[in-house]
Amino acid sequence: MRRKLALPLLLVLALLIAPSCAPTPTPGAPTKVKLAMGYIPNVQFAPVYVALHKGYFAAEGLELELDYGMEADIISLLGTGKLEFAIGSGDQVILARAQGLPVVYVYNWYNRFPVSIVALEKSGIREPKDLIGKRIGIPALHGASYIGLRALFEATGIPESSVQLQAIGYTQVAALTNGLVDAAVCYYMNEPVQLQLAGERITQILVADYVSLPTNGILTSEEVIKAKPEVVQRLCRAFHKGLLDTLARPDEAFAIAKEFVPEIAQNEAAQRAVLDAAVQLWSSEHPGQSDPTVWQQAVEFMARAGLLAQKVDIESMVTNRFVPQE
Amino acid sequence: MLPVRKARRAVQQLLSWCLALALLALAWQAALVLGRYPAYILPAPLEVLRKGVLLARQGVLLRHVLVTSAEILAGLALGASSAVVAGYLVSQCSWGERILTPFVVASQAVPTVAIAPLIVIWFGFGLLSKVVVCALIVFFPMLVSTMVGLRAVPPELAELMQVLRATRWQMLLKLQLPAALPVILGGLRLSVTLAVVGAIVGEFVGADRGLGFLVNLGKGTFDTALMFVALALLVVMALGLYGAALALERKLLHWRP
Repeated sequence: MRRKLALPLLLVLALLIAPSCAPTPTPGAPTKVKLAMGYIPNVQFAPVYVALHKGYFAAEGLELELDYGMEADIISLLGTGKLEFAIGSGDQVILARAQGLPVVYVYNWYNRFPVSIVALEKSGIREPKDLIGKRIGIPALHGASYIGLRALFEATGIPESSVQLQAIGYTQVAALTNGLVDAAVCYYMNEPVQLQLAGERITQILVADYVSLPTNGILTSEEVIKAKPEVVQRLCRAFHKGLLDTLARPDEAFAIAKEFVPEIAQNEAAQRAVLDAAVQLWSSEHPGQSDPTVWQQAVEFMARAGLLAQKVDIESMVTNRFVPQE
Repeated sequence: MLPVRKARRAVQQLLSWCLALALLALAWQAALVLGRYPAYILPAPLEVLRKGVLLARQGVLLRHVLVTSAEILAGLALGASSAVVAGYLVSQCSWGERILTPFVVASQAVPTVAIAPLIVIWFGFGLLSKVVVCALIVFFPMLVSTMVGLRAVPPELAELMQVLRATRWQMLLKLQLPAALPVILGGLRLSVTLAVVGAIVGEFVGADRGLGFLVNLGKGTFDTALMFVALALLVVMALGLYGAALALERKLLHWRP
């Protein structure tokens, strides 16, 4: 009997002792961090790939692991403390904060909100008022696309009831070319580029031309900022360098992105066009800096639109303190 | 069974369900208190109930429930009826099964969720595409159960019917269908729950109404309570459909011991 008990007891003892025997991080060893991006591996994440390739994260003492997923999922993971960093949209941060998720926007990557409304040229849609009475396809009745469209409507005085909104998932190109919708809400650097390369003549209404909204950037949580502010600082600094390099040398960035996403080579022309379109949205006089006025306006608009469950405080959700000084 | 005894049993069944539900709510609340989970991770049962009542009062829930119900029932009708007909035709000729089976099995290897966006483009963004997704998911279990059921017909009875010079129609109605019915209805029980999954997959691709849309909306706006309300309704729908299939089985197979 004693022998029978000995083995389980030893196992329990080993389990109890194990945590204290776990290897402690040695001084100078890189800090492991995970950055999740709200999409699939894509050329649009070139600044991250550039910073990794050039060792900017390593130079900051960070061992970066990349992860990909749906934006809403990764923001939830961030809020629950299961993830430390993510790339996400500012409008989603506002929504998440309104539901109590302690996420914080620490680095403004995109200078312009990337949502646009694309239509085939023959539809005659050239400006927002042309959308009245038309069938507009949208990925879903939530998310950055929906918020962008609602903001555009508000800024241009178009009542939502004057258009026929249709949730079409991510089938914008097929829906437009098959005449299922007259216009589609999409990302400026994705579907419009695909349509143009397919030989379609298109027109675009970029939401950012009519209204400023907080856009994609680096997110973390209040807990991470409190516990490891220096890690946030280092991550932002490394990314910043990657972004500046990408903006300065897109050819080099494209070649690096190909190493990280080999699938790019399957359709190089299209992917290059995607990067070029994205670079237009990233260029900024003050890279990384968030404009509190834009956030304030976005919060006010979202509250008016009935999108917020409760009031949100801008100061707690966005900060420029980790953005490298120029 | 006497009506009084039957009613008593129904009341006992109802009470046991209520008790199970109350225990679930208690365990849920206990997990919430012990784990100190915020509402965006795990909303309190009362919060979910409050949300559900609010949405029901506004008429929102009924609108979405009706849409998803229509998708499920139409998809189930289309998928199950075509599978039963196909299963009968295939079982009548041995070469038919040999030729068709690899294609049917191969079609099951393709996840419906992966081809759902294509189905939506082919059949439009309205009800039809969701019905087709639903029918596709239902088709395979119904086809297999029909084929298996028809194969289970006792050969000596078939021979007897042939000796009695029964027509093909008589063979089907008097022998094959009654003999295959237990297996076909077993397939139906499986299919009704799969039909719910099919409707949700269709709605996930692109929809502006339905319970799948509500789940997506809750996820997209970080409103976990809304997700729970929609998921709870889906569970209730699946249970209701399963119960209906079971009742149909009992009615049609009343002759079984």
